[in-house]
Amino acid sequence: MMMTTTYTYSLPIGPIHPALKEPIRVVAEVEGERVVRADVKRGFAHRGIEFMGMKRNAIQTLYLSERICGICSISHPYAFVKAVENAIGMEAPPRAQYIRTIIAELERIHSHILWLGVIAHEMGFDPLLYWTWKGREMVMDLLEYLTGNRVNYAMYMIGGVRRDLNEKKIRAIKENMNYYRQFNQEMKDVFMSDPTYKARTRRVSLLTRKDALELCAVGPTARAAGLRMDIRQDQPYDAYADMDVRAVVPQDITGEVMGDAYDVTLVRLYEIDQSIEIIERCLEDLPPGPILAEPNLIKLLMTIKRSEGEGVGRHEAPRGEVMHYVRFDGTRDGPVAWKVKAPSYNNINIWGRVLVGAEIADIPIAVGYIDPCMCCNDRVAEVRRGGRELPYEEVRRKCREKTMRIKREVMG
Amino acid sequence: MVVEDLKKALGPLLEDVRIQDIPEGSKRRSYQCVWVNIRKEGFLTAVRTLFRYGFPHLGILTGEDMGEDLRLVYIFKVFYEEPREEVTVVFSFHIPKLEPVVPSLTPMIPGASTNEREIREMLGVEFRGLKDKRHLFLPEDWPEGKYPWRKDETNVEDMVKRTR
Repeated sequence: MMMTTTYTYSLPIGPIHPALKEPIRVVAEVEGERVVRADVKRGFAHRGIEFMGMKRNAIQTLYLSERICGICSISHPYAFVKAVENAIGMEAPPRAQYIRTIIAELERIHSHILWLGVIAHEMGFDPLLYWTWKGREMVMDLLEYLTGNRVNYAMYMIGGVRRDLNEKKIRAIKENMNYYRQFNQEMKDVFMSDPTYKARTRRVSLLTRKDALELCAVGPTARAAGLRMDIRQDQPYDAYADMDVRAVVPQDITGEVMGDAYDVTLVRLYEIDQSIEIIERCLEDLPPGPILAEPNLIKLLMTIKRSEGEGVGRHEAPRGEVMHYVRFDGTRDGPVAWKVKAPSYNNINIWGRVLVGAEIADIPIAVGYIDPCMCCNDRVAEVRRGGRELPYEEVRRKCREKTMRIKREVMG
Repeated sequence: MVVEDLKKALGPLLEDVRIQDIPEGSKRRSYQCVWVNIRKEGFLTAVRTLFRYGFPHLGILTGEDMGEDLRLVYIFKVFYEEPREEVTVVFSFHIPKLEPVVPSLTPMIPGASTNEREIREMLGVEFRGLKDKRHLFLPEDWPEGKYPWRKDETNVEDMVKRTR
Protein backbone atom coordinates (compact mmCIF):
# COMPACT_ATOMS: atom_id res chain seq x y z
CA MET A 1 0.00 0.00 0.00
CA MET A 2 1.30 3.42 -0.91
CA MET A 3 1.65 6.00 1.79
CA THR A 4 0.29 9.39 0.99
CA THR A 5 1.49 12.51 2.67
CA THR A 6 -0.59 15.64 2.78
CA TYR A 7 1.28 18.80 2.04
CA THR A 8 -0.04 22.19 2.89
CA TYR A 9 1.16 25.13 0.88
CA SER A 10 1.33 28.67 1.94
CA LEU A 11 -0.30 30.91 -0.64
CA PRO A 12 0.44 34.59 -0.22
CA ILE A 13 -2.10 36.97 -1.74
CA GLY A 14 -0.99 40.56 -1.70
CA PRO A 15 0.16 43.12 -0.80
CA ILE A 16 -0.07 43.64 -4.55
CA HIS A 17 -2.42 41.26 -6.29
CA PRO A 18 -5.01 41.51 -9.08
CA ALA A 19 -7.77 40.41 -6.70
CA LEU A 20 -7.04 43.19 -4.25
CA LYS A 21 -7.62 46.83 -4.90
CA GLU A 22 -5.53 48.01 -1.99
CA PRO A 23 -2.40 46.70 -0.30
CA ILE A 24 -2.94 44.02 2.32
CA ARG A 25 -1.51 40.54 2.59
CA VAL A 26 -3.56 37.42 3.12
CA VAL A 27 -1.50 34.30 3.65
CA ALA A 28 -3.67 31.28 3.04
CA GLU A 29 -2.48 27.84 4.09
CA VAL A 30 -3.93 25.52 1.45
CA GLU A 31 -4.37 21.80 1.31
CA GLY A 32 -5.22 20.97 -2.27
CA GLU A 33 -7.88 23.52 -3.17
CA ARG A 34 -9.09 24.04 0.41
CA VAL A 35 -7.92 26.78 2.68
CA VAL A 36 -7.11 25.35 6.10
CA ARG A 37 -5.78 28.48 7.78
CA ALA A 38 -5.60 32.14 6.88
CA ASP A 39 -3.62 34.99 8.31
CA VAL A 40 -3.72 38.69 7.53
CA LYS A 41 -0.94 41.26 7.63
CA ARG A 42 -2.11 44.82 7.48
CA GLY A 43 -0.36 48.13 7.72
CA PHE A 44 1.17 48.41 4.25
CA ALA A 45 -0.19 51.91 3.95
CA HIS A 46 -0.17 53.06 7.55
CA ARG A 47 0.45 56.78 7.27
CA GLY A 48 0.22 57.75 10.92
CA ILE A 49 -2.65 60.08 10.15
CA GLU A 50 -3.74 60.29 13.81
CA PHE A 51 -0.20 61.35 14.73
CA MET A 52 -0.39 64.11 12.10
CA GLY A 53 -3.82 65.22 13.28
CA MET A 54 -2.60 65.71 16.84
CA LYS A 55 -0.18 68.34 15.52
CA ARG A 56 -2.74 70.37 13.54
CA ASN A 57 -5.71 72.53 14.47
CA ALA A 58 -9.22 71.10 14.45
CA ILE A 59 -10.24 72.49 11.05
CA GLN A 60 -7.05 71.25 9.39
CA THR A 61 -7.62 67.87 11.04
CA LEU A 62 -11.15 67.82 9.60
CA TYR A 63 -9.77 68.06 6.06
CA LEU A 64 -7.08 65.54 6.91
CA SER A 65 -9.77 63.11 8.11
CA GLU A 66 -11.47 63.49 4.74
CA ARG A 67 -8.34 62.09 3.11
CA ILE A 68 -8.30 58.88 5.14
CA CYS A 69 -10.48 57.21 2.56
CA GLY A 70 -11.24 58.09 -1.04
CA ILE A 71 -14.48 56.14 -1.34
CA CYS A 72 -16.20 57.10 1.88
CA SER A 73 -14.75 60.57 2.04
CA ILE A 74 -17.77 61.86 3.93
CA SER A 75 -17.82 59.21 6.64
CA HIS A 76 -14.65 60.21 8.45
CA PRO A 77 -15.42 63.97 8.47
CA TYR A 78 -18.95 63.08 9.61
CA ALA A 79 -17.73 61.13 12.62
CA PHE A 80 -15.06 63.76 13.30
CA VAL A 81 -17.44 66.73 13.33
CA LYS A 82 -19.85 64.79 15.56
CA ALA A 83 -17.01 63.98 17.96
CA VAL A 84 -15.83 67.59 18.11
CA GLU A 85 -19.38 68.92 18.54
CA ASN A 86 -19.98 66.46 21.38
CA ALA A 87 -16.70 67.44 23.01
CA ILE A 88 -17.26 71.21 22.91
CA GLY A 89 -21.04 71.10 23.36
CA MET A 90 -21.99 72.59 20.01
CA GLU A 91 -25.05 71.73 17.96
CA ALA A 92 -25.44 72.09 14.21
CA PRO A 93 -28.56 73.94 12.98
CA PRO A 94 -31.39 71.62 11.78
CA ARG A 95 -30.94 72.55 8.11
CA ALA A 96 -27.26 71.62 8.27
CA GLN A 97 -28.14 68.30 9.93
CA TYR A 98 -30.50 67.47 7.07
CA ILE A 99 -27.96 68.41 4.41
CA ARG A 100 -25.35 66.22 6.12
CA THR A 101 -27.71 63.27 6.05
CA ILE A 102 -28.51 63.80 2.36
CA ILE A 103 -24.83 63.87 1.38
CA ALA A 104 -24.06 60.83 3.54
CA GLU A 105 -26.85 58.83 1.90
CA LEU A 106 -25.76 59.86 -1.61
CA GLU A 107 -22.37 58.51 -0.68
CA ARG A 108 -23.90 55.24 0.46
CA ILE A 109 -25.57 54.85 -2.94
CA HIS A 110 -22.32 55.31 -4.86
CA SER A 111 -20.31 53.16 -2.45
CA HIS A 112 -22.75 50.24 -2.58
CA ILE A 113 -22.87 50.34 -6.37
CA LEU A 114 -19.08 50.40 -6.39
CA TRP A 115 -19.02 47.26 -4.24
CA LEU A 116 -21.55 45.47 -6.44
CA GLY A 117 -19.28 46.16 -9.40
CA VAL A 118 -16.16 45.05 -7.56
CA ILE A 119 -17.66 41.77 -6.42
CA ALA A 120 -18.82 41.05 -9.99
CA HIS A 121 -15.27 41.74 -11.15
CA GLU A 122 -13.81 39.44 -8.48
CA MET A 123 -15.77 36.54 -9.89
CA GLY A 124 -14.79 37.40 -13.45
CA PHE A 125 -18.15 38.86 -14.45
CA ASP A 126 -16.75 42.02 -16.00
CA PRO A 127 -19.73 43.18 -18.12
CA LEU A 128 -21.64 43.53 -14.86
CA LEU A 129 -18.81 45.66 -13.45
CA TYR A 130 -18.97 48.04 -16.42
CA TRP A 131 -22.74 48.28 -16.30
CA THR A 132 -22.98 48.96 -12.56
CA TRP A 133 -20.17 51.51 -12.65
CA LYS A 134 -21.82 53.26 -15.57
CA GLY A 135 -24.89 53.64 -13.37
CA ARG A 136 -22.73 54.95 -10.55
CA GLU A 137 -21.54 57.92 -12.62
CA MET A 138 -24.90 59.70 -12.19
CA VAL A 139 -24.56 60.02 -8.43
CA MET A 140 -20.91 61.00 -8.76
CA ASP A 141 -21.93 63.80 -11.12
CA LEU A 142 -24.65 64.84 -8.71
CA LEU A 143 -22.17 64.97 -5.83
CA GLU A 144 -19.88 67.08 -7.97
CA TYR A 145 -22.77 69.43 -8.73
CA LEU A 146 -23.75 69.72 -5.05
CA THR A 147 -20.32 69.95 -3.48
CA GLY A 148 -17.89 70.84 -6.25
CA ASN A 149 -15.98 67.58 -6.25
CA ARG A 150 -16.41 63.91 -7.11
CA VAL A 151 -14.45 62.80 -4.04
CA ASN A 152 -13.26 64.71 -0.96
CA TYR A 153 -16.31 66.94 -0.92
CA ALA A 154 -15.16 69.38 1.80
CA MET A 155 -18.81 69.81 2.67
CA TYR A 156 -18.85 69.40 6.45
CA MET A 157 -17.71 71.89 9.04
CA ILE A 158 -17.68 71.72 12.81
CA GLY A 159 -21.15 73.04 13.68
CA GLY A 160 -22.77 72.66 10.26
CA VAL A 161 -22.08 72.41 6.55
CA ARG A 162 -20.29 74.73 4.17
CA ARG A 163 -22.70 74.83 1.22
CA ASP A 164 -26.45 75.23 1.11
CA LEU A 165 -28.93 73.48 -1.18
CA ASN A 166 -31.01 75.74 -3.46
CA GLU A 167 -34.13 74.92 -5.48
CA LYS A 168 -32.14 73.92 -8.54
CA LYS A 169 -29.98 71.51 -6.57
CA ILE A 170 -32.99 69.99 -4.83
CA ARG A 171 -34.60 69.41 -8.22
CA ALA A 172 -31.42 67.72 -9.46
CA ILE A 173 -31.40 65.37 -6.45
CA LYS A 174 -35.07 64.48 -7.02
CA GLU A 175 -34.48 63.65 -10.68
CA ASN A 176 -31.47 61.59 -9.72
CA MET A 177 -33.46 59.62 -7.18
CA ASN A 178 -36.04 58.72 -9.83
CA TYR A 179 -33.22 57.40 -11.99
CA TYR A 180 -31.77 55.32 -9.13
CA ARG A 181 -35.13 53.86 -8.15
CA GLN A 182 -35.33 52.38 -11.62
CA PHE A 183 -31.65 51.50 -11.87
CA ASN A 184 -31.69 49.69 -8.53
CA GLN A 185 -34.70 47.66 -9.68
CA GLU A 186 -32.69 46.62 -12.73
CA MET A 187 -29.69 45.78 -10.55
CA LYS A 188 -31.87 43.66 -8.26
CA ASP A 189 -33.22 41.79 -11.27
CA VAL A 190 -29.72 41.07 -12.55
CA PHE A 191 -28.04 40.15 -9.28
CA MET A 192 -30.90 38.11 -7.87
CA SER A 193 -31.87 36.22 -10.98
CA ASP A 194 -28.45 35.47 -12.43
CA PRO A 195 -27.62 31.77 -11.81
CA THR A 196 -23.84 32.34 -12.09
CA TYR A 197 -23.93 35.03 -9.46
CA LYS A 198 -25.93 32.88 -7.11
CA ALA A 199 -23.70 29.86 -7.69
CA ARG A 200 -20.56 31.84 -6.91
CA THR A 201 -21.87 33.58 -3.79
CA ARG A 202 -24.34 31.23 -2.05
CA ARG A 203 -22.63 29.50 0.90
CA VAL A 204 -19.38 31.36 0.21
CA SER A 205 -17.70 33.02 3.19
CA LEU A 206 -20.32 32.02 5.71
CA LEU A 207 -20.43 34.17 8.82
CA THR A 208 -22.55 33.13 11.77
CA ARG A 209 -24.24 35.56 14.12
CA LYS A 210 -21.99 34.37 16.97
CA ASP A 211 -18.81 34.99 14.96
CA ALA A 212 -20.04 38.40 13.89
CA LEU A 213 -20.58 39.37 17.54
CA GLU A 214 -17.33 37.91 18.81
CA LEU A 215 -15.18 39.40 16.07
CA CYS A 216 -16.85 42.82 16.44
CA ALA A 217 -18.15 42.87 12.83
CA VAL A 218 -20.02 46.00 11.81
CA GLY A 219 -22.19 47.32 9.00
CA PRO A 220 -23.57 45.25 6.13
CA THR A 221 -21.21 42.40 7.10
CA ALA A 222 -22.83 42.10 10.53
CA ARG A 223 -26.31 42.68 9.12
CA ALA A 224 -25.82 39.87 6.57
CA ALA A 225 -25.15 37.58 9.53
CA GLY A 226 -28.57 38.54 10.90
CA LEU A 227 -27.52 41.19 13.44
CA ARG A 228 -29.92 44.14 13.43
CA MET A 229 -27.10 46.56 14.02
CA ASP A 230 -27.22 49.98 12.42
CA ILE A 231 -26.31 53.22 14.16
CA ARG A 232 -28.97 55.04 12.15
CA GLN A 233 -31.47 52.83 13.96
CA ASP A 234 -29.82 52.20 17.34
CA GLN A 235 -28.59 55.67 18.17
CA PRO A 236 -29.99 57.97 15.47
CA TYR A 237 -28.22 61.25 14.91
CA ASP A 238 -28.89 64.32 12.74
CA ALA A 239 -31.86 63.90 10.41
CA TYR A 240 -32.01 60.15 11.11
CA ALA A 241 -33.27 61.08 14.61
CA ASP A 242 -36.44 62.51 13.01
CA MET A 243 -37.27 59.39 11.06
CA ASP A 244 -37.45 55.71 11.87
CA VAL A 245 -34.70 53.96 9.99
CA ARG A 246 -34.66 50.19 10.38
CA ALA A 247 -31.67 47.93 9.81
CA VAL A 248 -31.87 45.95 6.57
CA VAL A 249 -31.31 42.28 7.38
CA PRO A 250 -31.64 39.19 5.15
CA GLN A 251 -34.32 37.60 7.37
CA ASP A 252 -36.66 40.44 6.38
CA ILE A 253 -35.91 40.01 2.68
CA THR A 254 -35.77 36.25 2.07
CA GLY A 255 -36.95 34.95 5.43
CA GLU A 256 -33.70 33.19 6.31
CA VAL A 257 -30.18 34.12 7.29
CA MET A 258 -27.23 32.39 5.67
CA GLY A 259 -24.62 35.06 6.36
CA ASP A 260 -22.92 34.45 3.02
CA ALA A 261 -21.80 36.67 0.17
CA TYR A 262 -25.26 36.44 -1.41
CA ASP A 263 -26.93 37.79 1.73
CA VAL A 264 -24.52 40.69 1.90
CA THR A 265 -25.41 41.50 -1.71
CA LEU A 266 -29.10 41.56 -0.79
CA VAL A 267 -28.42 43.81 2.19
CA ARG A 268 -26.52 46.27 0.04
CA LEU A 269 -29.11 46.26 -2.77
CA TYR A 270 -31.97 46.95 -0.35
CA GLU A 271 -29.97 49.61 1.45
CA ILE A 272 -29.79 51.59 -1.79
CA ASP A 273 -33.61 51.66 -1.79
CA GLN A 274 -33.55 52.74 1.84
CA SER A 275 -31.11 55.55 1.04
CA ILE A 276 -33.37 56.84 -1.73
CA GLU A 277 -36.28 56.91 0.73
CA ILE A 278 -34.23 58.73 3.36
CA ILE A 279 -33.02 61.35 0.88
CA GLU A 280 -36.55 62.02 -0.40
CA ARG A 281 -37.86 62.28 3.16
CA CYS A 282 -35.05 64.74 4.02
CA LEU A 283 -35.86 66.90 0.98
CA GLU A 284 -39.55 66.95 1.95
CA ASP A 285 -38.87 68.03 5.54
CA LEU A 286 -35.80 70.21 4.87
CA PRO A 287 -36.07 72.92 7.54
CA PRO A 288 -35.16 76.53 6.72
CA GLY A 289 -32.52 78.46 8.61
CA PRO A 290 -28.78 78.92 8.87
CA ILE A 291 -26.30 76.20 7.93
CA LEU A 292 -23.52 76.98 10.39
CA ALA A 293 -23.64 77.35 14.16
CA GLU A 294 -20.51 79.51 14.11
CA PRO A 295 -19.72 81.05 10.69
CA ASN A 296 -16.61 82.81 11.97
CA LEU A 297 -13.90 80.15 11.86
CA ILE A 298 -11.40 82.12 13.96
CA LYS A 299 -14.02 82.34 16.68
CA LEU A 300 -14.71 78.61 16.28
CA LEU A 301 -11.05 77.78 16.74
CA MET A 302 -10.91 80.04 19.82
CA THR A 303 -13.92 78.21 21.29
CA ILE A 304 -12.14 74.92 20.71
CA LYS A 305 -8.96 76.28 22.26
CA ARG A 306 -10.84 77.25 25.40
CA SER A 307 -12.74 73.95 25.63
CA GLU A 308 -11.74 71.06 27.73
CA GLY A 309 -13.41 67.73 27.19
CA GLU A 310 -13.73 64.61 25.17
CA GLY A 311 -16.25 63.34 22.69
CA VAL A 312 -17.21 60.29 20.68
CA GLY A 313 -18.60 60.71 17.18
CA ARG A 314 -20.16 57.90 15.18
CA HIS A 315 -21.55 57.49 11.74
CA GLU A 316 -22.96 54.50 9.91
CA ALA A 317 -20.71 54.58 6.84
CA PRO A 318 -21.51 52.43 3.80
CA ARG A 319 -19.17 49.75 5.20
CA GLY A 320 -20.27 50.03 8.81
CA GLU A 321 -19.58 51.97 11.93
CA VAL A 322 -17.00 54.75 11.78
CA MET A 323 -16.05 55.99 15.22
CA HIS A 324 -13.85 58.91 16.19
CA TYR A 325 -12.68 59.86 19.65
CA VAL A 326 -11.23 63.31 20.37
CA ARG A 327 -10.02 65.06 23.49
CA PHE A 328 -9.29 68.77 23.91
CA ASP A 329 -7.25 69.95 26.87
CA GLY A 330 -7.90 73.70 26.74
CA THR A 331 -4.40 74.63 25.62
CA ARG A 332 -4.42 74.13 21.85
CA ASP A 333 -6.97 74.55 19.07
CA GLY A 334 -6.63 70.97 17.87
CA PRO A 335 -7.21 67.60 19.44
CA VAL A 336 -4.57 66.33 21.89
CA ALA A 337 -5.91 62.84 21.38
CA TRP A 338 -7.55 61.59 18.23
CA LYS A 339 -8.45 58.01 17.45
CA VAL A 340 -10.06 56.83 14.27
CA LYS A 341 -11.75 53.49 13.87
CA ALA A 342 -12.82 52.61 10.36
CA PRO A 343 -15.26 49.76 9.68
CA SER A 344 -12.70 47.60 7.87
CA TYR A 345 -10.54 47.66 11.01
CA ASN A 346 -13.16 45.40 12.59
CA ASN A 347 -14.37 43.61 9.53
CA ILE A 348 -10.95 42.31 8.47
CA ASN A 349 -11.07 40.26 11.71
CA ILE A 350 -13.56 37.91 10.08
CA TRP A 351 -11.25 36.84 7.24
CA GLY A 352 -9.44 34.37 9.50
CA ARG A 353 -12.79 32.62 10.11
CA VAL A 354 -14.61 32.83 6.78
CA LEU A 355 -11.63 31.77 4.68
CA VAL A 356 -11.24 28.43 6.47
CA GLY A 357 -12.85 25.78 4.29
CA ALA A 358 -13.13 28.07 1.29
CA GLU A 359 -11.75 27.15 -2.11
CA ILE A 360 -8.87 29.13 -3.59
CA ALA A 361 -11.19 30.57 -6.23
CA ASP A 362 -13.45 31.90 -3.49
CA ILE A 363 -10.71 33.85 -1.73
CA PRO A 364 -11.29 37.05 -3.76
CA ILE A 365 -15.00 36.89 -2.98
CA ALA A 366 -14.45 36.23 0.72
CA VAL A 367 -11.95 39.07 0.80
CA GLY A 368 -14.15 41.41 -1.21
CA TYR A 369 -17.22 40.44 0.82
CA ILE A 370 -16.61 42.99 3.55
CA ASP A 371 -15.79 45.69 0.99
CA PRO A 372 -12.35 46.23 2.46
CA CYS A 373 -11.08 49.76 2.49
CA MET A 374 -7.49 49.73 3.62
CA CYS A 375 -5.82 52.92 4.60
CA CYS A 376 -2.53 51.23 4.45
CA ASN A 377 1.33 51.84 2.67
CA ASP A 378 3.53 49.57 0.82
CA ARG A 379 6.64 47.57 1.56
CA VAL A 380 8.26 44.63 -0.19
CA ALA A 381 6.84 41.17 0.26
CA GLU A 382 9.57 38.73 1.07
CA VAL A 383 9.51 35.37 -0.71
CA ARG A 384 11.69 32.79 0.99
CA ARG A 385 13.14 29.93 -1.02
CA GLY A 386 12.30 26.40 0.06
CA GLY A 387 9.37 24.05 -0.03
CA ARG A 388 8.58 21.76 -2.91
CA GLU A 389 8.38 22.99 -6.46
CA LEU A 390 5.89 21.31 -8.76
CA PRO A 391 7.02 20.74 -12.35
CA TYR A 392 4.93 22.52 -14.95
CA GLU A 393 3.78 19.27 -16.56
CA GLU A 394 2.43 17.96 -13.27
CA VAL A 395 0.50 21.15 -12.59
CA ARG A 396 -1.02 20.98 -16.08
CA ARG A 397 -1.98 17.34 -15.61
CA LYS A 398 -3.65 18.13 -12.27
CA CYS A 399 -5.56 21.02 -13.81
CA ARG A 400 -6.84 18.82 -16.62
CA GLU A 401 -7.88 16.14 -14.17
CA LYS A 402 -9.82 18.61 -12.13
CA THR A 403 -11.57 20.10 -15.15
CA MET A 404 -12.58 16.64 -16.30
CA ARG A 405 -13.83 15.73 -12.82
CA ILE A 406 -15.94 18.86 -12.54
CA LYS A 407 -17.28 18.31 -16.04
CA ARG A 408 -18.35 14.80 -15.09
CA GLU A 409 -19.95 16.08 -11.88
CA VAL A 410 -21.83 18.86 -13.63
CA MET A 411 -22.89 16.91 -16.71
CA GLY A 412 -23.83 13.93 -14.54
CA MET B 1 -29.75 51.17 34.60
CA VAL B 2 -26.16 50.80 33.40
CA VAL B 3 -24.95 53.41 35.89
CA GLU B 4 -26.66 51.77 38.89
CA ASP B 5 -25.35 48.33 37.95
CA LEU B 6 -21.83 49.66 37.51
CA LYS B 7 -21.96 51.48 40.84
CA LYS B 8 -23.12 48.33 42.60
CA ALA B 9 -20.56 46.08 40.91
CA LEU B 10 -17.55 48.36 41.24
CA GLY B 11 -18.10 50.08 44.57
CA PRO B 12 -15.08 52.18 45.52
CA LEU B 13 -13.27 51.21 42.30
CA LEU B 14 -15.56 53.57 40.42
CA GLU B 15 -14.22 57.10 40.57
CA ASP B 16 -16.89 59.16 38.84
CA VAL B 17 -19.68 58.91 36.29
CA ARG B 18 -20.98 61.52 33.89
CA ILE B 19 -24.05 61.02 31.72
CA GLN B 20 -23.99 63.05 28.54
CA ASP B 21 -27.31 63.62 26.80
CA ILE B 22 -26.83 64.42 23.14
CA PRO B 23 -29.85 65.97 21.41
CA GLU B 24 -30.19 65.26 17.68
CA GLY B 25 -32.45 66.30 14.81
CA SER B 26 -35.05 69.04 14.60
CA LYS B 27 -37.13 67.38 17.33
CA ARG B 28 -34.05 67.22 19.57
CA ARG B 29 -34.54 63.62 20.65
CA SER B 30 -31.49 62.62 22.61
CA TYR B 31 -29.30 59.59 23.18
CA GLN B 32 -26.95 58.86 26.04
CA CYS B 33 -23.25 58.54 26.39
CA VAL B 34 -21.99 57.37 29.79
CA TRP B 35 -18.45 58.39 30.76
CA VAL B 36 -17.06 56.25 33.55
CA ASN B 37 -13.72 56.83 35.24
CA ILE B 38 -12.59 53.72 37.08
CA ARG B 39 -9.51 52.39 38.82
CA LYS B 40 -7.52 49.85 36.86
CA GLU B 41 -8.34 47.02 39.29
CA GLY B 42 -12.02 47.31 38.43
CA PHE B 43 -11.66 47.08 34.68
CA LEU B 44 -12.58 43.41 34.15
CA THR B 45 -15.50 43.66 36.59
CA ALA B 46 -16.76 46.68 34.68
CA VAL B 47 -16.67 44.86 31.35
CA ARG B 48 -18.29 41.77 32.88
CA THR B 49 -21.12 43.98 34.09
CA LEU B 50 -21.80 45.02 30.49
CA PHE B 51 -22.20 41.35 29.51
CA ARG B 52 -25.47 41.34 31.50
CA TYR B 53 -27.15 43.24 28.67
CA GLY B 54 -25.97 40.95 25.90
CA PHE B 55 -22.70 40.87 24.03
CA PRO B 56 -21.17 44.36 24.25
CA HIS B 57 -19.73 45.80 21.06
CA LEU B 58 -16.19 47.11 21.46
CA GLY B 59 -15.99 50.28 19.44
CA ILE B 60 -12.65 51.86 20.20
CA LEU B 61 -9.71 51.04 22.38
CA THR B 62 -7.33 53.95 22.57
CA GLY B 63 -4.75 55.36 24.90
CA GLU B 64 -2.80 58.45 25.61
CA ASP B 65 0.49 59.35 27.23
CA MET B 66 -0.37 61.68 30.09
CA GLY B 67 3.21 62.29 31.20
CA GLU B 68 3.31 60.48 34.53
CA ASP B 69 1.15 57.60 33.46
CA LEU B 70 -0.85 56.20 30.54
CA ARG B 71 -4.59 56.62 30.16
CA LEU B 72 -6.60 53.93 28.42
CA VAL B 73 -10.05 54.55 26.94
CA TYR B 74 -12.42 51.70 26.07
CA ILE B 75 -15.61 52.61 24.23
CA PHE B 76 -18.40 50.05 24.30
CA LYS B 77 -21.95 50.06 23.09
CA VAL B 78 -24.76 48.13 24.69
CA PHE B 79 -28.47 47.62 23.91
CA TYR B 80 -27.85 47.79 20.19
CA GLU B 81 -30.25 46.04 17.76
CA GLU B 82 -33.05 47.99 19.49
CA PRO B 83 -34.24 51.22 17.87
CA ARG B 84 -33.12 54.30 19.88
CA GLU B 85 -32.10 52.17 22.86
CA GLU B 86 -28.35 52.01 22.38
CA VAL B 87 -26.09 53.49 25.05
CA THR B 88 -22.41 54.29 24.58
CA VAL B 89 -20.31 53.41 27.62
CA VAL B 90 -16.79 54.80 27.91
CA PHE B 91 -14.41 53.37 30.50
CA SER B 92 -11.20 55.22 31.18
CA PHE B 93 -8.44 54.55 33.69
CA HIS B 94 -4.81 55.29 34.33
CA ILE B 95 -1.99 52.77 34.47
CA PRO B 96 1.57 53.50 35.64
CA LYS B 97 4.21 53.88 32.96
CA LEU B 98 6.67 51.71 34.87
CA GLU B 99 4.29 48.78 34.84
CA PRO B 100 1.92 49.27 31.90
CA VAL B 101 0.02 46.00 32.23
CA VAL B 102 -3.72 45.42 31.82
CA PRO B 103 -5.68 42.19 31.46
CA SER B 104 -6.53 41.27 27.89
CA LEU B 105 -10.15 41.21 26.75
CA THR B 106 -9.54 38.52 24.15
CA PRO B 107 -10.89 35.59 26.25
CA MET B 108 -14.23 37.43 26.38
CA ILE B 109 -14.16 39.32 23.07
CA PRO B 110 -11.86 37.60 20.53
CA GLY B 111 -12.18 40.55 18.15
CA ALA B 112 -10.40 42.78 20.68
CA SER B 113 -7.12 41.20 19.60
CA THR B 114 -6.76 43.72 16.74
CA ASN B 115 -7.29 46.70 19.03
CA GLU B 116 -4.94 45.37 21.69
CA ARG B 117 -2.19 44.63 19.17
CA GLU B 118 -2.42 48.20 17.92
CA ILE B 119 -2.24 49.80 21.36
CA ARG B 120 0.55 47.41 22.32
CA GLU B 121 2.79 48.55 19.45
CA MET B 122 1.77 52.22 19.50
CA LEU B 123 1.77 52.90 23.23
CA GLY B 124 3.76 50.03 24.73
CA VAL B 125 0.96 48.65 26.89
CA GLU B 126 1.30 44.99 27.77
CA PHE B 127 -1.94 42.99 27.62
CA ARG B 128 -1.86 40.03 29.96
CA GLY B 129 -3.34 37.02 28.17
CA LEU B 130 -3.04 38.36 24.63
CA LYS B 131 -1.88 35.44 22.47
CA ASP B 132 -1.07 37.18 19.19
CA LYS B 133 1.76 39.58 19.96
CA ARG B 134 2.89 40.36 16.41
CA HIS B 135 2.90 43.88 15.05
CA LEU B 136 -0.37 45.02 13.50
CA PHE B 137 0.39 48.16 11.50
CA LEU B 138 4.10 48.65 12.10
CA PRO B 139 6.61 46.61 10.09
CA GLU B 140 8.01 43.42 11.59
CA ASP B 141 11.51 44.90 11.91
CA TRP B 142 10.33 47.89 13.96
CA PRO B 143 12.96 48.68 16.64
CA GLU B 144 12.12 47.52 20.14
CA GLY B 145 11.26 50.04 22.80
CA LYS B 146 10.00 52.65 20.33
CA TYR B 147 6.37 53.72 20.68
CA PRO B 148 4.92 56.31 18.27
CA TRP B 149 2.26 57.59 20.66
CA ARG B 150 4.54 58.07 23.67
CA LYS B 151 5.54 61.60 24.55
CA ASP B 152 8.75 60.73 26.42
CA GLU B 153 12.19 59.54 25.29
CA THR B 154 10.72 56.31 23.82
CA ASN B 155 8.78 58.19 21.12
CA VAL B 156 9.70 58.43 17.45
CA GLU B 157 10.73 62.10 17.12
CA ASP B 158 14.26 61.00 16.12
CA MET B 159 12.83 58.75 13.39
CA VAL B 160 10.68 61.41 11.71
CA LYS B 161 12.02 62.67 8.41
CA ARG B 162 11.36 66.38 8.14
CA THR B 163 10.71 67.92 4.75
CA ARG B 164 10.53 71.57 3.98
